[in-house]
Amino acid sequence: MKLAEMRESFNDFWSEFKKEKTGVIGLIFFAIFLFIVIFEPFLLPFEDANTRWRDISYWEDWPKSAPPAWTNWFTSEKKSVTGTLTEYSESSQDMGAMVMKEFVFEYDYQYDDAPNDIIIHGDASGQPIVVVNIVRPDGEEIEVFQSAYNAGERTKDIRISIDNSSRSTIYNFAKKYESSENLSNVKQGLIKTTNGIFSKAQEGILRYPEPLKGEYQIKVTAILRDETDNMASPYIVLPGKVSGVLGTDSQKRDIWTGVLAGVKWALLIGILTAIVSVSIGVIYGVISAYLGGWKDALMQRIFEVFVSVPLLPVLIVLSAVFEPSIWMMVVLMAMFFWTGSVKTVRSMAMQIKEETFIEASRALGASNFRIIFKHMVPILIPYSFSSMALFIPRAVVYEASISLLGLGDSQIVTWGQILSDALNSGAVLNGLWWWVVPPGLAIAFMGMAFAFIGFSMDKILHPKLRTR
Amino acid sequence: MYWKFALKRVINAVIIYIILIFIFSALFNVQMEQTVYAQIDEAIKMESMQLTDMKPEEMQRWAEQRKEFYYKRYNLDKSVFERVVRRAVDALTFKYGNSSIIRSSGGSRDVRTIVLETIPRTLLLFMTAMVIDILLGFWLGIKKAQKPGKGLDKSTSIVTMVVYGMPSWWLGMLMIMAFAYMFKIFPSGGFLSTPPPPAGTLARFWDIIYHLLLPVITLVLIGFWGRAFLTRNIVLSTLQEDYIMSARARGIPERKVLYGHALRSAAPPIVTMGLLALLVSFGGNIIFEGIFSWPGMGNLYWISVQQNDIPVLMGNLSLTTGLYIAGLAILDLIYGFLDPRIKVGGKE
Repeated sequence: MKLAEMRESFNDFWSEFKKEKTGVIGLIFFAIFLFIVIFEPFLLPFEDANTRWRDISYWEDWPKSAPPAWTNWFTSEKKSVTGTLTEYSESSQDMGAMVMKEFVFEYDYQYDDAPNDIIIHGDASGQPIVVVNIVRPDGEEIEVFQSAYNAGERTKDIRISIDNSSRSTIYNFAKKYESSENLSNVKQGLIKTTNGIFSKAQEGILRYPEPLKGEYQIKVTAILRDETDNMASPYIVLPGKVSGVLGTDSQKRDIWTGVLAGVKWALLIGILTAIVSVSIGVIYGVISAYLGGWKDALMQRIFEVFVSVPLLPVLIVLSAVFEPSIWMMVVLMAMFFWTGSVKTVRSMAMQIKEETFIEASRALGASNFRIIFKHMVPILIPYSFSSMALFIPRAVVYEASISLLGLGDSQIVTWGQILSDALNSGAVLNGLWWWVVPPGLAIAFMGMAFAFIGFSMDKILHPKLRTR
Repeated sequence: MYWKFALKRVINAVIIYIILIFIFSALFNVQMEQTVYAQIDEAIKMESMQLTDMKPEEMQRWAEQRKEFYYKRYNLDKSVFERVVRRAVDALTFKYGNSSIIRSSGGSRDVRTIVLETIPRTLLLFMTAMVIDILLGFWLGIKKAQKPGKGLDKSTSIVTMVVYGMPSWWLGMLMIMAFAYMFKIFPSGGFLSTPPPPAGTLARFWDIIYHLLLPVITLVLIGFWGRAFLTRNIVLSTLQEDYIMSARARGIPERKVLYGHALRSAAPPIVTMGLLALLVSFGGNIIFEGIFSWPGMGNLYWISVQQNDIPVLMGNLSLTTGLYIAGLAILDLIYGFLDPRIKVGGKE
């Protein structure tokens, strides 16, 4: 087929395809997935997520098993949303022997349920003493933290978590207001530090805290006693009760990040497997039909052996025994998926083989290779595209199934692995729906997109099923 | 001539089974032998515990001798090729050896016992789901084919595509979350309550049904759209045949054309497609059982992968393959019986 012919037949096909609404919807979905893959660096809330998904320290600042932030829209009690404070006013005071550097953060607290913690980060070097004060809207000032750091000569990230370290401070602060009856019902070691900080100073602050809304000031003071001592570029993380677009899992990872990072792997696995297996299947079917005779019979026997393999069990056992990488997995899947298109292709090729133009080119002395690849395979290209589209969801689901068993490639983040973590951490049992629903929905959406495309193409290519 | 066709098909299936078992044996030979070595070491350790007052050198020599004895017994001293052949023959005669950790409900460590007791449960689950699935799909498919392109047909076709790439086990997770934990209607999984009702009573029967409901509903919910779509396509393409046209031209009422003429020739492919789907789901929904902790073959894969119990994994794989091939052969036999054109066999 010449290029112009190809373009013409493509145009014909496209004008037919445009009329299939579902097909167009599928293409739009596909475009969205492609968009996510291309602009992934700009879309990911956590840029290192791809490489540090299983690194606990990367996620340590975030809340554990927090629902998505938008759940606040449906509740009357507004839970605190995870936030970071990066803007501060800096002042420095020279006191002779030492320098006091003060960073003041403003936090406008307008929720009904306090954040889980206040985490302060900063780049420190030398041996600074760090003091954290919180000034509440009612004018109370609490010194929640004080400690000397030994950062050494090189600049190092320091991390201060209020929750544990200042529990007794907050207890003592609250004791001034709390009734003795309530105090006897509260264990000092079990109070929530942030509840004390973000609640009205009145009776019941520890047992029945009422939120104190307004402007909070978090003052981070670094006392520098030596020239080499320094503290710079601090920021504060407030891990909330609700977090991000899709919440977090029990290992504090952001699920939205995981789902976005999974798009490229799903597409890669699906498309690569589909292309390889359909190409093999089409070529195999054509060769088998064209050669005929005992060669055809032999190829059909081999084909039958492959068809008789129960695919998922074999893939599970292969992955369990050989622990394949993602590339190996694609190869393994393609090794079995190619059988899917052989039967149809062979019967189609049987008809094509009898056409006069094949006879003509054979009379002209064309080689078998030329006839198969130049004359027969191109005719089957439209068919192979439609079956490719329908293979993609299968490959994605298979990869997810294998990952669910914990046999996936541990270097990457796929939807199946997120679901596997969810299952193993009891997300189903504990009703963490924001962990279970999105990855599966993503798989379903991808399946749907390609099913839309594939079925629409099928409809055009098999006119008998037409309804118009 | 049907029996000739049948015999050919059965022999073909047996040959394929033998080939596959040989491939598996060769492919997983190293892993299988690793467990055998581990088991031998364990056995020698156990025996040496009973020995007292022996000098270290004597002990060493004794251990060597035992090792040699066991290697001979398990044919580990033969060539690789012979080992693979022996292993394949063992697998073909259903001698799968002992498991390393997993035990059957009766406490046996024989792999065959462990795998065999899971098969009926798997069949129960998937057969039930498939029967409901085919009946519902058949009904809906005919409805769709009667008015193609209209509201019902279009909307259900869209649902078909929506659930096309949806993993059944994921829907299972959602169903458990919703109907076992949020609304406590169904049990969260398993096959029987604890403590189980005594065997042979009606209470046990109802208990199994109760545990069967949620997984079956899930399977049907995800499966029957596809069945309906397939039925619709087959019926629709039959309806465009010339003899349907002539039947309509003769003034035969549309109902009779559909049920009397079209369905008669459309039924065999629909039935076999349904059975094929049963087979595929048998192989493909393996994960599904694990989610519902339904103690079938799929769940056994799950457990043996987690416990790294290679003999059970291999035994399970061999039996699954056997059942799968047998299923395919039976399917062809049924199809050949229903559709006489097939019996001619192979010649186009």
